[in-house]
Amino acid sequence: MAQLSDIANEFIRAEIEEFLERPEEIERNVALFSRVSPAMQDIAAALIDGDNVVVDRLTRKALDGGVGALEIMDDGLIAGMGIVGIKFREGYVFVPEVLVSARAMKAGMAHIEPILAASGVEPIGTVIMGTVQGDLHDIGKNLCIMMLRGGGFTVIDLGVNTSPAEFVAAVEEHQAHLIGMSALLTTTMPNMAKTVEAFKDAGLRDAVRFMVGGAPVTPEFGKDVGADGYGKDALACVELAKKLAVEVN
Amino acid sequence: MSMSDSEKQAYQERLDRMAAIFSDIVSHAEESSRTRCPYRDRHDLCTALFRCRNQARVADSDSQELACTHDGTFDYRSAWESNPRAYERTREKIVRIKRDAAKRRRSRSEENQDR
Repeated sequence: MAQLSDIANEFIRAEIEEFLERPEEIERNVALFSRVSPAMQDIAAALIDGDNVVVDRLTRKALDGGVGALEIMDDGLIAGMGIVGIKFREGYVFVPEVLVSARAMKAGMAHIEPILAASGVEPIGTVIMGTVQGDLHDIGKNLCIMMLRGGGFTVIDLGVNTSPAEFVAAVEEHQAHLIGMSALLTTTMPNMAKTVEAFKDAGLRDAVRFMVGGAPVTPEFGKDVGADGYGKDALACVELAKKLAVEVN
Repeated sequence: MSMSDSEKQAYQERLDRMAAIFSDIVSHAEESSRTRCPYRDRHDLCTALFRCRNQARVADSDSQELACTHDGTFDYRSAWESNPRAYERTREKIVRIKRDAAKRRRSRSEENQDR
């Protein structure tokens, strides 16, 4: 049976020792990390630590060194994210840390995606995501982005305080057909309608589908602003995006 | 099954596994967000880009970091809910935005026809 001491990476050893409590999870992760190469352990460690620069560099280096994409996904990225998920569930880390690790995972996946595409695993579609103008809330949007990327979408994140013109420009630049708008304030919610109108002005309305979400947003409000769908949370957002992608493709 | 089909399936299985991990995370985030603000990190610092009543300067620190002083004992989200009057005003504003935009497009189209 594998022992904790069989794991070369000190950071991973400490993570398992300090944060994993369930015996079956300890056993599974000790078995996993003790058999994976030190290079994959390093990727997993950097991902858990939320270091996107290191994950980016190590993933590129591993691929250039002949390591297969499947091995990097299994033993580096998924293995690391699995630990993050456990730490989150147990209350050792919270949403901000999870999102930082998700960003690190994206940095690694950026190198894997061309390989996936070459094997026939194409993105379902491209989604332009942003919090509307005047609004600086971004956690809900960022969770949606994490889920959409995990669900097979390419996501262009415009961040917060996104003007209608920026949404239009991003759709034109990335040839995207899906747009996700988030708002957390009643004062900024009308900017969802302004954005939809900007697409009508640009002659692009029929070519795109709008998803809206955010704490004060309701399905009725979504209809009022002229959106094509409302997602109550990040899980619903992915289902909605898949449905709208079929319509628009 | 051809080599490329099995390869595609193998990649898809990994993507599905990633999606499952994210799905568990999001479900737990929904649950934990009922009592703990999602912008509050593990050091109890606020990561929000906006102002919040619960933010406070970190004592004995020269940094710009803000601590979250919320005690996490109740569902803070009710404070984010909009009151019905504000909501109605918002809906009225949306009707105006749509009407004005349509008018603007109409007059632009008429201008183009006149040329």
